[in-house]
Amino acid sequence: MVGERGLGKLAWVLVFVSPSLVGLAVFSVIPILASLGLTLYEWDLLTPPHFVGLDNFQRLIHERNFWAALAHTLYFIVGYIPLVMVIALGVAVILNQKLRGVVLFRAVFFVPVVSAWVAVALLWKWIFNPKFGIVNYLLGLVGIHGPAWLFDPQWAMPAIIVTSVWKDIGFVMMMFLAGLQGIPAEYYDVAAIDGAGDWQRFRYITLPLLSPITFFALIISLINSFQVFDQVRIMTDGGPAGATSVLVEQIVKNAFDYSRMGYAAALSWALFLLIFTATVFQTRLQKHWVTYD
Amino acid sequence: MYTILVISALFMIVPFLWMLSTSLKADQYVLTMPPQFFPRPLTLSSYVRLAELFPIGRMFFNSLLVATLTTLGQLVTCSMAAYAFARMRFKGSNALFLVYLATLMVPFQVTITPLFILMRYLGWTNTYQGLILPCVFSAFGTFLLRQFFLTIPRELEEAAFIDGASRWTVYWRIILPVSKPALASLGVLSFMGSWNAFLWPLLVVRDMDLMTLPVGLATLHGRWLTQWNLVMAGTVITVVPMLAVYLLAQQYFVRGVVLSGIKG
Amino acid sequence: MKKHLSVLPVGLLLLTLVMAACAPATTPTPVVVERTVEVERTVEVEKPVVVTATPESTELPEPVTITYFTFSAAPDHLEDLDEMIQIFEQAHPGIKIKVETASFGEYFTKLQTLIAGGTAPDVFELNYENFVSFAAKGVLLNLDSLAEADEAFDPAIFYPRAYGAFNFNGMQLGLPETFSTVLLFYNKDLFDQAGLSYPREDWTWEDAVAAAKELTDADAGVWGLHSGVQFWEFYKKAAQNGCSLFNEDKTEVTINAPECVEALETMVGFVTEDEVMPSDAEMGGMSDGDLFKAGKIAMDVTGIWMFAAFQDAPFEWDIQVEPGLKQHATHFFSNAVSVFAATEHPQEAWEWVKFFTSSPEMAQIRVASGWELPALDNPAFFEDYLSLSPPTNRAAVFKSLEHAIVPPVIERQAEMADDVNKLLDQVKLGQLTSQEALDQAKVQIEELMR
Repeated sequence: MVGERGLGKLAWVLVFVSPSLVGLAVFSVIPILASLGLTLYEWDLLTPPHFVGLDNFQRLIHERNFWAALAHTLYFIVGYIPLVMVIALGVAVILNQKLRGVVLFRAVFFVPVVSAWVAVALLWKWIFNPKFGIVNYLLGLVGIHGPAWLFDPQWAMPAIIVTSVWKDIGFVMMMFLAGLQGIPAEYYDVAAIDGAGDWQRFRYITLPLLSPITFFALIISLINSFQVFDQVRIMTDGGPAGATSVLVEQIVKNAFDYSRMGYAAALSWALFLLIFTATVFQTRLQKHWVTYD
Repeated sequence: MYTILVISALFMIVPFLWMLSTSLKADQYVLTMPPQFFPRPLTLSSYVRLAELFPIGRMFFNSLLVATLTTLGQLVTCSMAAYAFARMRFKGSNALFLVYLATLMVPFQVTITPLFILMRYLGWTNTYQGLILPCVFSAFGTFLLRQFFLTIPRELEEAAFIDGASRWTVYWRIILPVSKPALASLGVLSFMGSWNAFLWPLLVVRDMDLMTLPVGLATLHGRWLTQWNLVMAGTVITVVPMLAVYLLAQQYFVRGVVLSGIKG
Repeated sequence: MKKHLSVLPVGLLLLTLVMAACAPATTPTPVVVERTVEVERTVEVEKPVVVTATPESTELPEPVTITYFTFSAAPDHLEDLDEMIQIFEQAHPGIKIKVETASFGEYFTKLQTLIAGGTAPDVFELNYENFVSFAAKGVLLNLDSLAEADEAFDPAIFYPRAYGAFNFNGMQLGLPETFSTVLLFYNKDLFDQAGLSYPREDWTWEDAVAAAKELTDADAGVWGLHSGVQFWEFYKKAAQNGCSLFNEDKTEVTINAPECVEALETMVGFVTEDEVMPSDAEMGGMSDGDLFKAGKIAMDVTGIWMFAAFQDAPFEWDIQVEPGLKQHATHFFSNAVSVFAATEHPQEAWEWVKFFTSSPEMAQIRVASGWELPALDNPAFFEDYLSLSPPTNRAAVFKSLEHAIVPPVIERQAEMADDVNKLLDQVKLGQLTSQEALDQAKVQIEELMR
């Protein structure tokens, strides 16, 4: 077979895959399997775990906090994903051109990504401040009395979504940029010669050729947003009155505050199932819109 | 077009400027309401105080070492595995890839405890290898690079195979150079992930000698009171090197020049 | 152009390296500072007689290292801690103390993980709630035998209440490290401007609200008082109204008794009816401490840990015992230092724990640097403390102890606090009435206790 000289095919596969696979197996898979085992136990970390069978799962189904956290997490995802993908793509396309200072612009968009949530959250708490924040000030200019944002159960999650989108645009944009860079200029030139306009070039060249990266960005954003936590903890700590409590927040609380590591593990695996299902669904869907070479 | 860009850029950077401004404020002006944009008086006292409270140089060095080694490790192992997934058809490759993806779907807050116990067995708590190795083997990196490799035109490799190149040569001399943008992206993201990592270093590190920046600076959040100018100064110190890394990586975001001249 | 740009990032990198490298004396080196403190009475300090087993060889043993994990030392008091360690190590040449720190938010996550991983520190700090759960799990060393064997140790040196707090099922599982009380802080300038007389020890909340109404100035954004609507404040106000969350032997949940409901209504009423207290939205994410310091809150119920923070407030302030309802009830919080049950060096750990919680050197350093109050029943140590100002009325700190109540603790404490806080949030938001909230609280707590 072409290119297989020197070693058998399987050997080549092993050569390339084994460093990553061995490392993953030891440092990821083993702890993950251990956490799966933990779901059948109750463990307060201080004393040895004791076996409880499927109790944790039973309890999970009946616990009000779990379903509330699930609903809030889904709310976050539905608000966050479309916004961040569309805006990041738009920005990436714009910044893919030879503009003056484009490098600086790209760096600027990346600044929020590298900033710690501590600083970002504090700043956005100011921005959303009901009395002194810019948002309500601007709303006031057009005659709208702004809500209490992070202190209002209805508006806290939207505020968190906006903050998260703002912070992550640069991250997704960077991936799109890398993808856009991989599209050969010739394709555009040929299309221009054939009389295709900007929008047509975008729709028939850019989007399809970018689709593997788009798929990646979508999946990664999905996986991450199911696990949203840091910003919730810092901006509202799950409040007000539990309106922004999300799944990972429940997991952390149970693992370390309530000394119920086994139950936390069960929650983690419930979350895993959700993410896995969503991902498989997206993967199946990709044949309809993702074009590989 | 340009104005939109400038406005959005401002929108992105104002928070950082605000962080910078807070870090330069004197203690009593930090939390005035409404907040003061330009610090009066302007002072470096927060930075000085940070240096008094923490071995910043050491923490910086640790963060840098760990992040660099983690990033290099990721770039190497992930690109190799990604190439295998993207270009080598083998039985079970899809299933294996799904396993890779699956490792990203289990929240780390729970798996961190078994991982810590594993470190204990290996004797790697409170060591550099304990800080670095668990983070090197990332499914994220493999996924990113696989997607990117899939977009590389096969003609490139086929031409090389015809010329008698082995898999390794193709990987090293063709795939990698063409993938500079993706590698640069992964490099930046990997570096950032390691640089800002908090929970894992918190658990693994016992000695001040091994302390990384985020963990050390976290103690600025007192139980009752937080000195925001110090926190912001710490954040600025943490953010600036990351930006430097990003700018350094920028030069690799170049269009794939090599693709010109390929026919068919 | 490209060359230009690659200079920039490298330059930035170098700049930060230089900034970090040029930072002055980075590692906090232990400094022996001579403090002149006028001590007019002779304090008898007996040299601790360490009863050790007869060594089997005549060789000097390797120094034993004791790890001490703390959340209260970093970052401001590491030097004070180092000073204490120096004094201790000089007196105990065979023992070395290794300090590990974490901030309070992460401390228990790390501590629990270390214990789960089998690498627990020998000695660690605990606040009261966590003490109870750690004690119940049997991970704390019973200090009774060590205490009895040690002739130099006399438990009477501690505040009885503090010492007793860390006695679990008849076993002494920790020594009290510090204590704090919660009081009414008030802005003297604002009182003067309004022509009001300062809060008195016998005030009820009615008196406080009356004064607050005069002090509240909506236009200037100044509020008369602040007293958080949350779990700890709630059980205290309930106690002030003669109500408690449980009955004597915790067989019944009484959180929704009429007096408790009344107490909650009073608390929430400060915001909604009396309009003397800002709502959460009106505080805009700033803490009550921040607002008090900014002169926006005239009376704030908070703890003595804020003394240091308020030192440079641009106005005169003082403290008073918290007002009561039917009676006074105040908070008494204490932190303990405990020894890990499976430590390899119980004797050495005991020496450190004993020194760190009860030695006069430790007390002097703490008081002089404002690093929390040691829980010692010896007025000698507090002469200096009491003479410091602001606040002047420091005697209130100790007067407060006369009405101190114990927090209601059950096994699933953290969950109970979270559940109750969520219900209180709903009352604050107007989603539930006080009665409804407490009725639901009763049901939820009963579930937790099953």
